Amino acid sequence: MRRRIVGLAFFCVSLCAKSVTLQAQEFKLFDRTVQVHGYVSQGFVFTSDNNWLTMDTSSGSAAMTDMALNASSQVNDKLRVGAQVYDRNLGQLGQYHPSLDWAFGDYRFKSWFGIRAGKVKTTLGLHTDTQDLDFLRVFALLPQSIYPVDLRDATIAHLGGDVYSNISLKHGLGELSYTAYAGHRSDSIYSGYAYFLSQFATYLKSYGGLQYGVDLRWRTPVKGLQVGASRLDEDITGKGVGVSPFNYAAGVQPYYESSKADWENQVYGEYTLGKLRIDAEYRRYWRKQQVFNGTSEDLTDVRGWYVSGAYRISKRLQFGSYYSRYTVTNRTAGLLATLAIQATDTSLPQNHDYDKVAAVRIDLKRFWNVKLEGHFMNGYGDAPYPNGFYPQVNSHGFSTTTNALVVKTTLSF
Amino acid sequence: MKNKISLLLFTAGVIIVAMLRPLPVLAGDFKLIANSSLKADTISTEELKKIFLEESSSLSDGTHVEPVLESDGPVHQAFLQQCLGRTSDDLQTCYRALVFTGRGSMPKELSSDAGVVAYVARTRGAIGYVSIATSTQGVKTLTLSDSKFNPQRRVIRRIEPEYPETLRRLNISGTVRLRVTISARGNVEQVELLGGNPILGESAISAVRQWLYTAGHSRDLIEVSIPFDPRSKFFSGPASHPRQV
Repeated sequence: MRRRIVGLAFFCVSLCAKSVTLQAQEFKLFDRTVQVHGYVSQGFVFTSDNNWLTMDTSSGSAAMTDMALNASSQVNDKLRVGAQVYDRNLGQLGQYHPSLDWAFGDYRFKSWFGIRAGKVKTTLGLHTDTQDLDFLRVFALLPQSIYPVDLRDATIAHLGGDVYSNISLKHGLGELSYTAYAGHRSDSIYSGYAYFLSQFATYLKSYGGLQYGVDLRWRTPVKGLQVGASRLDEDITGKGVGVSPFNYAAGVQPYYESSKADWENQVYGEYTLGKLRIDAEYRRYWRKQQVFNGTSEDLTDVRGWYVSGAYRISKRLQFGSYYSRYTVTNRTAGLLATLAIQATDTSLPQNHDYDKVAAVRIDLKRFWNVKLEGHFMNGYGDAPYPNGFYPQVNSHGFSTTTNALVVKTTLSF
Repeated sequence: MKNKISLLLFTAGVIIVAMLRPLPVLAGDFKLIANSSLKADTISTEELKKIFLEESSSLSDGTHVEPVLESDGPVHQAFLQQCLGRTSDDLQTCYRALVFTGRGSMPKELSSDAGVVAYVARTRGAIGYVSIATSTQGVKTLTLSDSKFNPQRRVIRRIEPEYPETLRRLNISGTVRLRVTISARGNVEQVELLGGNPILGESAISAVRQWLYTAGHSRDLIEVSIPFDPRSKFFSGPASHPRQV
């Protein structure tokens, strides 16, 4: 292992020293320019105690890879089309099953108004649509209270349409922009929620449904300050097979669950001043789900917020830090109430995760960065809803605190 | 495992120290150029910002536009700082976010002024920027309508051009358009003929070379129009206020 790390470090330094370039590709198709872009990232995570993000992190795990490749073209002055394929492996999740990340046509009727149709990235808060793109920011992992990497499928995209607009306000009051959308969300069966259910011998074959919402953001007259709010509503159905905890004797049976209410509210602010960037967001996720074939109800209330700061020291070096706070409560009704413990006390470690993070990003080249990030977590927030810590990979139980070192490198073109 | 982490941290430390370099110093000025398909002669900083951040793909008159960038260098840095208020890294981040969410493309990036001029000349709707000394044959120059960083200069010593006797006798008149580069101290550094009769132009250039302007914060580029009318003994030009370019 030591040799491999030394070898990798040597390889990195030698690549730095040489003049290596990685550039976007362009070609012509029907007399239109098509641009091709992509990225690949590789992470390594070591934790002091609990295994995190479905990886064997307490022994050090490099099972953190993701990549994407896209092609897009401006067909005419108003229409652009494109598509991106995404693939990842994160411990037990993803497992290198590629998916269509986005594929849509974007028609801009006016410079201030347009529509998108197809599979479209969901606009929710500051980073939902770009949550995979770690090369856009200092941090290897976004605050997990709001952007849980294991649950990316929940909000990443919808098959449907967006209407978007930018409106300049009079009297120097800044600019308003909104995105309204509706479509169908479809999660991978290799996502965090499916993995979470598997601990109950329940295996999803499909999980998704209607998703609609709106995002409104205001670029204020204060230079560098933007504030916004998002709302997302969903009607989700999950289907699969499982062994009912209320009737083991029946063996494997069809399983389904469906939403009675499912929404997210998010408010956020972003401030940039020269080389300094400060973000803050708050999200509340409310989920009332009929589970185990309608025999039970599960009511989950997830609240998360964070404040982050990032500063560019030099062209190639940035520092960042954030504090992220996640709490979850859960109540059950019906048959499940006889088995599950109600989770109402957010001071308990199983119902919260407070994460202090310090990160450094080094841009070795314009297309290549390396990040080092330290996480100091209190709580593991696993009880009623997944949040990074899963019992399946923590068979000896959980420790209250977890310290993690994340090393990640990304190449993009 | 402690050894592994120590080794990783050490390697990172070495790389950090190696990468610590000062940011490039901003310097120089630029002029905006556009493909001749653009109807507009002026553009506001706000419009320019929206175009280069890909928030808008057309001007207020509906003309399609496409931003063109220089890869790096003082002209690029000056443009970003003065017009977009962003660093090069911020701009790249913005473009990458667009590219990887399907909402935009990576704009054309060229490594030289000549390359930018050539690309803008042949690409409908293209808007770019080049250093003020660059020849802009084949493209049009755009004026920033609300420039805050390029204050108006006032002529404090003007020499009237001589009317070439032959042209006066033949009753040949016209207006000469010149692009004048003024130093920060107010001296005329360079004069370029943009349009008009070349003989009248020659006379205008030799006169304008002797003009003196008020001092400014940096080197400026303005356009001057000088009318030649054989009926008047003296020329009253410039006909309009100097235009910033």
